Amino acid sequence: MSSEPILRVKDLTIDLLTAHTVVRPVDGVVYELSRRETLAIVGESGSGKTVTCFAPLGLMPVGVQADISGSILFDSRQLVGSDNETLRSLRGKSIGFIFQDPMSALNPARRVGRQIAEVAELHLGMTARAAETRALELIKMVGMSDPEIRLKQYPHELSGGLRQRVMIAIAIAAEPTLLVADEPTTALDVTVQAQILRLLKEIQSRMNMAMILITHDMGVVAGAADRVMVMYAGRHAIPRKQDAIGSRFRGLPGVPPILGAPITGCAFMPRCGYAVDACGERRPPFLPTAVPGVSAACPVLNIRAKECA
Amino acid sequence: MQPVRPLLKAIGAFPRSAVFTICAFVLLGLLAPYIAPHDPNAQDLLVAGQGPTLAHPFGVDHLGRDTLSRLIVAARTSLVGVCLVLVCAHAIGIAIGTIAGYRRGWTDELLMRIVDVGQAIPSLIVSLAVIGIAGVSYWNMILALALAWWPGSARISRAVAVNTMNKPHMEALRVLGASPVRIYFVHLLPTTIGAVLVYATADAGAVALAIATLSFLGLGIQPPTPEWGQMLVDALPYLESDPRQVILPGLTLTLAVIGFNILGEAVALTEFRSR
Amino acid sequence: MFAFIAKRARNAVLLLFLASVLCFALVVSAPGNVAILIAELRTPTATKADIAKVEEELGLNKPLLERYGFWLNGAIHGDFGISYKTGEAVGASLKSRLAVTATLVAGGAVVAFLLSLFVGFVGALWAHRAPDVVTRGSALLGASTPSFFVGALLVYAFSVTWHVFPTFGFAGPVSWVLPWLTLGFLPAAVLSRVVRVGFEEAMAKPYVLTAMSKGLSRTSILVRDAIPNIAPTYLNALGTQIGTMVVGAVVVEPLFAWQGIGDLFLTGVRFRDFMVVQACLLVFITFFIILNVVVDICITLTDPRLRLQRS
Repeated sequence: MSSEPILRVKDLTIDLLTAHTVVRPVDGVVYELSRRETLAIVGESGSGKTVTCFAPLGLMPVGVQADISGSILFDSRQLVGSDNETLRSLRGKSIGFIFQDPMSALNPARRVGRQIAEVAELHLGMTARAAETRALELIKMVGMSDPEIRLKQYPHELSGGLRQRVMIAIAIAAEPTLLVADEPTTALDVTVQAQILRLLKEIQSRMNMAMILITHDMGVVAGAADRVMVMYAGRHAIPRKQDAIGSRFRGLPGVPPILGAPITGCAFMPRCGYAVDACGERRPPFLPTAVPGVSAACPVLNIRAKECA
Repeated sequence: MQPVRPLLKAIGAFPRSAVFTICAFVLLGLLAPYIAPHDPNAQDLLVAGQGPTLAHPFGVDHLGRDTLSRLIVAARTSLVGVCLVLVCAHAIGIAIGTIAGYRRGWTDELLMRIVDVGQAIPSLIVSLAVIGIAGVSYWNMILALALAWWPGSARISRAVAVNTMNKPHMEALRVLGASPVRIYFVHLLPTTIGAVLVYATADAGAVALAIATLSFLGLGIQPPTPEWGQMLVDALPYLESDPRQVILPGLTLTLAVIGFNILGEAVALTEFRSR
Repeated sequence: MFAFIAKRARNAVLLLFLASVLCFALVVSAPGNVAILIAELRTPTATKADIAKVEEELGLNKPLLERYGFWLNGAIHGDFGISYKTGEAVGASLKSRLAVTATLVAGGAVVAFLLSLFVGFVGALWAHRAPDVVTRGSALLGASTPSFFVGALLVYAFSVTWHVFPTFGFAGPVSWVLPWLTLGFLPAAVLSRVVRVGFEEAMAKPYVLTAMSKGLSRTSILVRDAIPNIAPTYLNALGTQIGTMVVGAVVVEPLFAWQGIGDLFLTGVRFRDFMVVQACLLVFITFFIILNVVVDICITLTDPRLRLQRS
């Protein structure tokens, strides 16, 4: 396993501009990812998980503009500030994407075979016929029965699990080095979730890919991730090697803040029962806590650590 | 007053440009004889085909009639025609629709199948066929257009009537022993008329266009009564020497119809929102 | 799928039957005695005997049901009786004029199709979220402008001012251009809005994000992902507009002195030539019914969800 990370994200900050509002869903995020590694980005709804991964690659809904600063090195190429054409040539070819709801993410009016094959046509320079063969191969690879029949079917003729398998086939069609999966199991039946997750892990190791797994399901994290980044209000709250997060991470009452106005202090403050004055004054830096080896951006824990020391 | 309330409510929500156009159109129509500077039918062959002058700001046509006056009086022709057609069409439509909605069962089935057939044939074809049978005259034109437009009204009336009959207070009336005649005439009919009145405005543009088209074809308003479509076809042979006489009535007609159609779109939208 | 077509065809035949009854009833209920009209057409000083002879000849003295059967049988075989005005066989007139009207409507449909796709596509590609006024305006204009006014303006611009196309007549492709534009222009305005709004809706769908994640360009997303989703809606609107154009032929044909079915119908209406009115009405209604079935089948073929549902 190469130790050189293929993805290095530093101080990534994203402002989204719509016609009426500006929001900052991503604020100074830092992480690294190597080949074969899986990073889980965890957080509540609206905590900026998806935008972190999609906006820098130019994937934005119509009418939204993203203002991105910081640095993203992918395969030693700087993505921040790259023009649209460069980003487009990376999408699908070097970076594959899987979306949350496979029903709406697949085009309802086109055969799934075509939707897979066009990626191979575009990025591997294949003829239509060769791409069709490639699509058949991929459909087998993602474990669908009756592959020849499936190729000719439309999304509405498939079950949710099968649709997500088609989505995976599309994402890996051009053998990308990084796979971004946005809540790949959320919209699926509980029984199918485990299958899809296993399939993703299997394909990842077979193709030597790095994977970013965006999720809010701690069970998924525990089963699949090497590293975890917890996001809250656009900030990475706890970047850690995967170990005991599953048992220690506790929820807070209330709802996440609206990201319209920049938050000066700790973003958790309005919902935190232990908050002190220092929390609201400035953004707390990452400092050691009383527990050896664990850092946190929390004045309460940091002060306790100082007292203990 | 009750039937008018939904109409007033809808007018409140209209775009201002449409309200302005329609007010101008209605005012022109109502006051035409008083504001037209000349007699629209007074011929003066000495000035025939003359361009704009102080006396005739829009020029005169090939018979020397004042174009401005004719355009203004044509608004009245059109307004009266549209109102007559809409009243006749909705009278038939509301009668059929409320009976279908009140009786339901096979009466409903039968009447609605007739409406289906009526709606499947384009209105211009229906009105042309009626004129072809009944002959060319003003009242035949009104009749023909009314026969072309009633099915739409019947469909809406039936929907409103069915809706109204299913309301709890109608059930209460029946339990209290109100007679069918009372239920129909005092409760069902006024409610339906009120709701359908709003839709009537939505059709006005299309009816105005149809009257102009029939007149253009020589089957509607007959000369010398001024009407936009008929003025246009009248001036067509002189297109080369005096295009103004073709363009002016065409523009005025288009403007009036656009006004009505914006209104119609707004009506459809408010109805859609209130559902 | 076959069962669906069969069912639609059966409904169409039923509707056709109703339409034929309607057409027949229209003439039977017409004021004035048809036999007298025809007899007077032949000899202005027709006697009672002449009228009786005509009645005998046309079977007008037979019971209604028998007359209907006689007429329907004739109509199916292309015999629509004889024009009261000209004495010509109506079926023959219809046949000779069919090509003119077909040329007009087909050309108009092509104009509407090309123009609407071009305008809608250009709008979707370059004008990001063009003001709503423009798209709403084109549809409004299409529904509000009389086609005879459009025709008059086109004639003034292209024939009177620039001498590019002839003012009227049916003599070769050059003379066809203006009538085609006149007939196709307003439907094109309505349809271009359908295209424009359809593209805008389709491009906001999640599958477009998927297509972007594949690295496809905006143009190929429009072509590959948006068009298959817009097709059913567009075909439906196109069908409606073709119907509108057939009606428009009644106005456009006389404007350009074309001797088509629209013109025949109009002449029949003007002179109260019942047999002509009846025959043209039946032809028009038949066309609308068939058009409806064709559009329905096209929509079913282009929409995979409907296809599954209906097969």
